[in-house]
Amino acid sequence: MTRVLLIGGGSGATMLSHKLQRRHLKVTMLTASMEHLFQPALLYVAFAQSSADVTRDERQLVARGINLIEETVTGVNLIDREVTGGSGKTYPYDSLVVATGVGTDPAQIPGLLETTARYGDYHSTIAQARKLGNALSNFRGGTIALGQSTPICKCPPSPVEGVLLADRLLRRRGLRDKTRIIFFTPYPRAYPAAPMNDIIEPILKDRGIEVVTMFDVDRVDPQGQTIFSIEGERIDYDLPIIIPPFMGAAIDYRPSEVLDQSRFVKADKASLKIIGFEDAFAIGDANNLPTSKAGVGAHLEANVVARQLRGKSASFNGRTNCPVDLGDGRGTFVIGSYTSPVRRYPPSRINLLMKMIMERIYWVSLRGALEPVFSIYFMLTDPDRISRRRPPKRS
Amino acid sequence: MVMPTGVPNRTVVDSRGSACPGPITDLSMAYRRSRAGDVIEVWATDPGFREDVKAWATKTGNQLVSVEEGPEKIVAVLRILRR
Repeated sequence: MTRVLLIGGGSGATMLSHKLQRRHLKVTMLTASMEHLFQPALLYVAFAQSSADVTRDERQLVARGINLIEETVTGVNLIDREVTGGSGKTYPYDSLVVATGVGTDPAQIPGLLETTARYGDYHSTIAQARKLGNALSNFRGGTIALGQSTPICKCPPSPVEGVLLADRLLRRRGLRDKTRIIFFTPYPRAYPAAPMNDIIEPILKDRGIEVVTMFDVDRVDPQGQTIFSIEGERIDYDLPIIIPPFMGAAIDYRPSEVLDQSRFVKADKASLKIIGFEDAFAIGDANNLPTSKAGVGAHLEANVVARQLRGKSASFNGRTNCPVDLGDGRGTFVIGSYTSPVRRYPPSRINLLMKMIMERIYWVSLRGALEPVFSIYFMLTDPDRISRRRPPKRS
Repeated sequence: MVMPTGVPNRTVVDSRGSACPGPITDLSMAYRRSRAGDVIEVWATDPGFREDVKAWATKTGNQLVSVEEGPEKIVAVLRILRR
């Protein structure tokens, strides 16, 4: 019997647990918390005071027959094939899947920890998202500065979604005329992928949102209420909404060379095997793949690893499928792959409805029951298939 | 993916196959870790990178030494002047 060890308690590990119910596999899953957080909901907790279904107990989500243990992993020894937990226990394995996600690390930027501790953010925890919601509720006008502090951002559309939902919130509260909204980004344009920017930038302009490009946050002065960039610019604010830097889980790896400088696990972009190891995989936000850090990645990568653990061949094509709430009742999607650059995906009400449906069915989809529906959806929206029909004009 | 080449102050950033958010992400991350005088060489396959790297160099005040498009990759060499 093959001992499969999953580390992580998010969507990737949970989905994978349901695909590994095989007699020849003995699956153990280590999660740092039994509280499973639906991370995309933080956007609505912060900007729409949503109190929707944000968390559930992991014990109700994981597949039956899986040995689920609450354990914070502190060490992964890929050479000796064992994982160490904070309890001091060790867990030997034959196959390992790392699905430990990413966390925010505001301490990397001087002044940011103090700033997010005061105003909150919408990428860390429910408490932080509520804190930001309260800061927005107490806001009476002035300058809001919103953006990502560094180029790597979990859920790449979320900065744009945040600023558009902030704009909507202020309009509803009658404060928009009293508010200057500045959207800053380290990229050369408001949305990093140019075809999507062709859609996003006119919308930002139409809503009166100022865009400051190539603004990498160097430091924040909480007393002076100013954000400074590496490039030498500054933005003064009354309410800062700054997306912190992201880092992989604080786990000691042996060998340490499998981690990059952001603590993301280096993995082969097709097989998802950790570089140099045939018996270990990294999926979802935890790896360093050249694609978006988003739930769809964890989902599709879990499928690829499940097939390999069942003795079949499979490879990941870098598919992204990121829904974007444009804050005006419409939505769009950012869809691409390793071989097909992102294209324009015109905004529509149907797209927003699809985003909302995907969020509503999240808990069910974790169990794999909707996999046939997703297979059809991913096939119909396959960017490689669409590319063969329509060559792109620009990337 | 950032690979130190062994030569001090020169970093090769391999962004081939990265389309969204794209190689400019890897360049910006390398820039955060650089010092004045460093050289960053970026390999990319995203065709939009050619224009992006020019805009990036202009905005950030760093020197775009060269940008060459070969059959398999675009190679941009930048010298960091402002950090």
